[in-house]
Amino acid sequence: MALDLFRPLKNLYKIVKQNGGVTGSLYKLFRQDELKWGELVGEDKFGNKYYKNDYYFYGRNRWVEYNDKVWLDYDGSQVCPEWYGWLHYKTDYLPHEDPGRPVYPWMQAHTQNLSGTRQQYIPYTTTKPKIEAWVPPSKK
Amino acid sequence: MACLKIFSLARQGATHRILQQAATNNLVQKRSKYVHVGLKTTSDDLKNSLEEGMHEIYLTEIMRGLGVTLAQIFKEPATINYPFEKGPLSPRFRGEHALRRYPSGEERCIACKLCEAICPAQAITIEAEERSDGSRRTTRYDIDMTKCIYCGFCQEACPVDAIVEGPNFEFSTETHEELLYNKEKLLNNGDKWESEIASNIHADHLYR
Repeated sequence: MALDLFRPLKNLYKIVKQNGGVTGSLYKLFRQDELKWGELVGEDKFGNKYYKNDYYFYGRNRWVEYNDKVWLDYDGSQVCPEWYGWLHYKTDYLPHEDPGRPVYPWMQAHTQNLSGTRQQYIPYTTTKPKIEAWVPPSKK
Repeated sequence: MACLKIFSLARQGATHRILQQAATNNLVQKRSKYVHVGLKTTSDDLKNSLEEGMHEIYLTEIMRGLGVTLAQIFKEPATINYPFEKGPLSPRFRGEHALRRYPSGEERCIACKLCEAICPAQAITIEAEERSDGSRRTTRYDIDMTKCIYCGFCQEACPVDAIVEGPNFEFSTETHEELLYNKEKLLNNGDKWESEIASNIHADHLYR
């Protein structure tokens, strides 16, 4: 492969073009600390977009751009289980073409890590107490 | 055999003679052709040393150092930009626990308590009772995630694939109590992550 001295500039052009011009690029850079160009491979039901570009090395060639609505409150746990395996390089199948992914009616919608919010999990006992306090008989 | 011979001769006090003979017999290779790859030695006088020192310390060293730093700026970073990019994970990854269900929606756990017995950290607590339809089920299935050492013995002990260590590792909490999981929480985890859990088990089905 011949050395392409203008490759960085070409890539910069691609990046700026894909991310919506100069303002769009600055917006993304502020939110994601990084600008990349790649192929949009899918979107999950929460509006997170998944991208792929093998120009970047393994470990950086698949990424997610979280829904714009969450703005800076993006979190790693917002990736839904269907896309989890693909994003973590466990499988090359995209969720809709993976034969080993069951869909059952009892499956629940994914939630992000709710710690620190009002919906957080609070432990409680699932059995009756073994010892019950004595209730004195009322005089009637 | 030759070794034995030398040994026996050495015991007789003839080592020196034998070794000399060995050297002349080309057992010890003589090397005369070599290439010097180290720094070339220059003359050691004051003028030379001073000049070298000035170059090394004050100019070329600093410029070379700055050059390396500058090159790193244009290099592709070796790190990943975490929540957006994530590292590779194995289907056998042992993360947050989950209780699974059969495809019919019936919970798998039959309260055999094998996981509770094998747990080296004693993080699992199980209580069982007969359910109204006569089947044996747990009434309490608690895991103290702060005791758990994520060894995976519970999922290996489970005869019905009920308790599994799912793929999720992003379950850190702000308080300790949120990590004291009960049966409901574990079943919910299973219901949320079933897609990925089933996919992992499928990926590993040849080895289990």
